[in-house]
Amino acid sequence: MAREIPYIAAAQEAIFQEMGRDDTVLFYGQDVAPSDDHDFVKAYGRERVRVSPISETAEIGMAVGLALAGYRPVVELLMAEFMLVAMNQVVNEAPRLRYMSGGRVKVPIVLKAGYGFTAGWAGQHTGSIYSLFAGVPGLKVALPATAADAKGLMTSAIRDDNPVVYLINYLLVLEPGDVPEGEHVVPFGEAAIRREGSDVTIVATGWTVGRALAAAEALAAEGIEAEVIDPRTLAPLDMPAILTSVGKTGHVVLVDQGTRHASAASIIAAEIAEHGFSSLKAPIKLVTALDATVAYSEPMEAYLMPNEEKIQAAVRQVLGQAPVAA
Amino acid sequence: MALSREVALDLLQTMWRIRAFEERVAVLKRSLQVHGLIHLSIGGEGVAAGVCRQLRSDDVVYSGHRAHGHAIAKGVSMNAVMAELMGKADGCCQGFGGSMHLVDRDQGFLGATGVVGGNLPMALGSALTAELGGGDEIAVVFFGDGAVQSGHFHETVNLAALWQAPLIFVCENNGVAEFTPRSAHTVVERVSDVVAPYGFESETVDGGDAASVWETFAGALTAARAGRGPVLLECLTHRRRGHYEGDAQAYREALEEEQWQAHDPLARLERRALDEGWLDESAAKAIADHAGAQVEEAVAFARASPLPDPKLAAELVYAPA
Amino acid sequence: MAELDDDRLIWMFTQMVRVREFEERVKRTFEDHPGVIRGHTHLADGAEASIVGSLATLRDGDQLIATYRCHGYPIVLGTDTKAIMAEIYGRRDGLCGGYGGSMHLADPERGFLGTSGIVGQGIPQATGVAFAAQLRKQGQVVLAFFGDGASKQGAFHESLNLASLWKLPIVFVMENNNYNVGTRVEQEDANAAVGEPLSVKAKAYSMPGVTVDGGDPVAVYDAVEPAVERARSGEGPTLVESKVYRLSAHGNIIAPPGVPLHYPEHEAITVFGNSEEYEAALRGDPVPRFRMRLVEEGVLDPQRADEIMQEAREEMDGAVQFALNSPFPEPEAALNHVYA
Repeated sequence: MAREIPYIAAAQEAIFQEMGRDDTVLFYGQDVAPSDDHDFVKAYGRERVRVSPISETAEIGMAVGLALAGYRPVVELLMAEFMLVAMNQVVNEAPRLRYMSGGRVKVPIVLKAGYGFTAGWAGQHTGSIYSLFAGVPGLKVALPATAADAKGLMTSAIRDDNPVVYLINYLLVLEPGDVPEGEHVVPFGEAAIRREGSDVTIVATGWTVGRALAAAEALAAEGIEAEVIDPRTLAPLDMPAILTSVGKTGHVVLVDQGTRHASAASIIAAEIAEHGFSSLKAPIKLVTALDATVAYSEPMEAYLMPNEEKIQAAVRQVLGQAPVAA
Repeated sequence: MALSREVALDLLQTMWRIRAFEERVAVLKRSLQVHGLIHLSIGGEGVAAGVCRQLRSDDVVYSGHRAHGHAIAKGVSMNAVMAELMGKADGCCQGFGGSMHLVDRDQGFLGATGVVGGNLPMALGSALTAELGGGDEIAVVFFGDGAVQSGHFHETVNLAALWQAPLIFVCENNGVAEFTPRSAHTVVERVSDVVAPYGFESETVDGGDAASVWETFAGALTAARAGRGPVLLECLTHRRRGHYEGDAQAYREALEEEQWQAHDPLARLERRALDEGWLDESAAKAIADHAGAQVEEAVAFARASPLPDPKLAAELVYAPA
Repeated sequence: MAELDDDRLIWMFTQMVRVREFEERVKRTFEDHPGVIRGHTHLADGAEASIVGSLATLRDGDQLIATYRCHGYPIVLGTDTKAIMAEIYGRRDGLCGGYGGSMHLADPERGFLGTSGIVGQGIPQATGVAFAAQLRKQGQVVLAFFGDGASKQGAFHESLNLASLWKLPIVFVMENNNYNVGTRVEQEDANAAVGEPLSVKAKAYSMPGVTVDGGDPVAVYDAVEPAVERARSGEGPTLVESKVYRLSAHGNIIAPPGVPLHYPEHEAITVFGNSEEYEAALRGDPVPRFRMRLVEEGVLDPQRADEIMQEAREEMDGAVQFALNSPFPEPEAALNHVYA
């Protein structure tokens, strides 16, 4: 039974329902439920739902300790950049302890944060830095693009026995979507084909999925049918689905809100170049944020970001319908 | 060092400029002429003015995300700040930074920062350069009570004490960090108790009493300039508005008007100045009006300023070779 | 406060000797079997009394997280020393299958949940384990072991604040050996610089802080035990500063492959030229000191003491032999255990 709820509510609903199913799931972070009237506190009490001070190293380090001791904490970090304060715990501890112990321990934690809020939140609050994490063996990275996926991927994140960086895109928080009321699981490592087409493959993440779909509609009016794929998780990454599509279309545009040098698009491009080269009828084209800190002023911020027009232009380029841009 | 008429009037002028500026920004934000994350310093004017008006341009100030008041008191032009908030080319950062990332090197405002606690180690670095240069300039870092629990604070405090750095820590303890009260962050109420083990001088003052802030800071400044090491000034203050503009503040009791009046640093200093006969009602009103006029000039300046060339966004990433 | 009867005291002595014999053999491996140990090891010789005195306060179900200087804790907890040595030698039958090495031992079934190789970063993890203990309500207590160098880390501050705020069942045990690699504590710590004990830092978190002679296992026990009981009864954390002297250098030298590794002299000598300090520490070596005390007090007769030491030598010689003969893991095993 599905009904429409906003993206942000869907993510919270997953946490709420999993806490009901499993007593070992905890939820804490800065400003998480300061008031006892909050739904989470009323349902699960103050032991399992806590507010923490501004102490990212301790918040994430504690999550590791809790996980080593058999619990499944979900830590609300608010913004992806705040994880950088505790980079050691995220990159050097949580994903490595299982390995270094030869499999004797596991670290089931979910680090939840938001990213990409290109609405004037300026240089330190707006980055799309998930590929920093996607490159770390032992870490999983989920990027829901729809309300249903926000719930389904969070459910999987909580049930996964590994540390998961779960990032919501702040531009999507109020986007409504049909979300099942009950248990809803979206497995990691399974891309979603958001739109079928046979002329060009567009792979897009997070908020750019919507931009890609809008571009696809415009292109359809010109007789170009684009297939839009949403990988949903960057680690694990569903390359088979992407390669199958590349095999079908022979033309690829990769869209990502991260900066080019360290974008999901760059990772995918390398994989296609190595494993899908013979299918390609044109070079791969990347549409990513430009390599700069996100500027505050609107025209500059917009200039740096991928958008529908840039996606359309890229499609036409790979299809050989436009001169190569400078 | 007791407050003089001259100082009181200077403080009032500065505080009125900040108050008028912030109230105007609140209106502009509601109509989206200023966008993004905006944190206002209404209620914090006494601390900003009491501290910054005693500093030189070679004294460096760092602030956090709630920085407009500190910037203005430190001498950053209101025109430049307003233009920055509107994302214009004549903004102090040419539209690159916005509210949380104001910088004005000439005025020694090395800036606002967006990650709580991140400014503390940076301010220590500036204080150390003062030491290395052999002069008596100092560094000041403004932060809230929420930053005290962060690791950055601890690491900075140890080193500042160890190296006797000329760094003045000004903590605006308003009892609430983002949306939760201090009691949810720590058992220790007073920030001065957190630094007590490190042995440096600390004072707690009523941040709503601009005169008291001014007098106490004067002492801290003398000590720091004389090389007596770091000082903590804990200003008990009150945040009038929400954490950011748009914050509905359901988590706080509705502020009683009497409570606000009891705290309002501007109203209190004005009353004192009137009582002391340093000015009369019409002079007081003139100060307020003048501040309002200056703010309107800033708005006009900012509106007239062009938007930056979008292509600039991809430049300035690296300093040139 | 629980009493330490003769059996318990003899047990403490035995564990101290076992740790010492183990660490000596790790060090000797660099001479006797060059190339067998790769990377960086850190020894706990000199800290045995502190380790044993602390762990003696624990009961079944209690847990701990330690640093990269971690060999001593599992030895005392009863982990098979053959497996520990094999881990240090990178062998398949090592405690962690050869995946971790000297710095990353773990024996979760015995409560030793692991270590961090990064100074201070195990403290917040231990705090999380204590959070779990609080939720479980089974009266478990957690010990967080770290060095004086870690007390300058933001992680220390954040963890002590939270533990105090939430009254977590944890005891923070700082082994202060006055050195952070080759830097003396007075050079980097504002409290030490003015001659204060590091335990004063506890005041910033409204928690009790005590300083104890970490060379005397009974004194350590007497300081940690009430802190453990305090934690167990829900009254919250304590900071215990245990003053120790490590008898070896920080670790073996760091060198590129091909250069033989070994243990240099202690930094007191190599960096500060202070042989007197080191000689004095050798004279105050906690292991013979404790033996002498127990013999003098009639708790332990010298013959039994000798037997204990001989058994320990044989055990640790056996550990070395086992490890030397233990096969290496299959190379492809490197891809296991990345994900649960």
